[in-house]
Amino acid sequence: MYRLQSIRVRYGSNVALDVEELTIAEGRLYTLTGANGAGKSTLLSILAFLTPPTSGEIFYAGNRVDWTHGSVEEYRRKVTLLHQSPYLFGGSVHDNVAFGLKVRGIPGEEHRRIVDRALDGVGLQGFRDRKARELSGGEAQRVAMARAMALNPEVLLLDEPLANIDRETAGLLETVIASLPAQGTTVVMTTHDPDHPGRLNGESIHLEGGRHVVQPLR
Amino acid sequence: MDFLVSSFSSALRLIGALSPDVVDAVRTSLSISAGATVFAAIFGIPLGLLVGLSDFPLKRLVVTVLNTLMAVPTVVVGLLVYGFLSRQGPLGVLGLLFTPTAIVIGGTLLAAPIVANYALASVRGADPRIVPTALTLGAGRFRAVATLIGEIRFGILAAVIAGFGRVVSEVGVAMMLGGNIRGYTRTMTTAIALETSKGEFAFGMALGIVLMMVALIVNLFLNLLQQR
Repeated sequence: MYRLQSIRVRYGSNVALDVEELTIAEGRLYTLTGANGAGKSTLLSILAFLTPPTSGEIFYAGNRVDWTHGSVEEYRRKVTLLHQSPYLFGGSVHDNVAFGLKVRGIPGEEHRRIVDRALDGVGLQGFRDRKARELSGGEAQRVAMARAMALNPEVLLLDEPLANIDRETAGLLETVIASLPAQGTTVVMTTHDPDHPGRLNGESIHLEGGRHVVQPLR
Repeated sequence: MDFLVSSFSSALRLIGALSPDVVDAVRTSLSISAGATVFAAIFGIPLGLLVGLSDFPLKRLVVTVLNTLMAVPTVVVGLLVYGFLSRQGPLGVLGLLFTPTAIVIGGTLLAAPIVANYALASVRGADPRIVPTALTLGAGRFRAVATLIGEIRFGILAAVIAGFGRVVSEVGVAMMLGGNIRGYTRTMTTAIALETSKGEFAFGMALGIVLMMVALIVNLFLNLLQQR
């Protein structure tokens, strides 16, 4: 799905990311681990086509990404990033989950069906007309997950999706995330939980000081 | 003290009886302020958003200039526009001096920096996750910015209301560019200044009460929006 070559991101004289070679295969689940400041969020931001690297090349589905506006917008419609503390727009849960559908020009009559299915997927049946800003932290996280899943992205990037939420919600989201590769979605998620790669049947990408290193033995 | 009490009760009677002079001044004030606010919003909102959303080499200087323009005395704005609109001025041929249009032009120059600064503050205070969230959900740049504007709409509306508050309460521009012509360019503030100097204290007080009520309503509305 992705091939990264000699990717470097610098902020002034600091090198935030320095990845010589990284391949992410289609339909697989990857856990992205590393200490705070290791470059996980920077890498996710690049994979989401939100921030171009300072240097290096990225290939997506075999095509070299040239970071021009039109081309990047095309790629962004295939990839969705879910932040650790997601932002919900003002308005209803429906407005939030349907946001990406509207952007893609999907007819309004289909929105309800897709939104309801996405909310069902995260256990939020009946939440469609609730005000997004009045939800609890766990509910907001699930709405954000439904908003991403409604778009049926080729790649779902998750920035610590299971942090700061209750155990029940975390268990539910973990089940949802683990089921995505079987539906053809490539998943890359950052985590601090050393058990996640094994539990989610995923592969591990480990970063140290911005560099991709072979996962240390435990 | 008797003077104040009797003037106050006379002022209330003038308001209650809808004295034509009071009504005229209120109507002129509100319509001129509304016109100036609309133009100030047309120029100020995009300017504030543009400065807030973009990075360019002299951004700090531009922000400082915008801040400074908020503090320009009204008579200086009046003087500047007077220079342009007076018969010898470059726009004198248009014959706009001492017309409501002249006050609208001055009011626009007065309110636009306020609207721009409030809009800029709204952008700066916006949640930094709004644009990346819109982008990662597939929005293009324009749609992402439109989403941001939608999310800070109460701040933008507060900017417009603050601009209106500035124009409706100023006296320098209205006096210098309107000339205080009864039933034509006489606003609440110019009428208060003139009538009080003529000894019509109750009339000035009546307009003062109306002006305070307008200011109170505007500020109540502004506070209500800022809490959202």
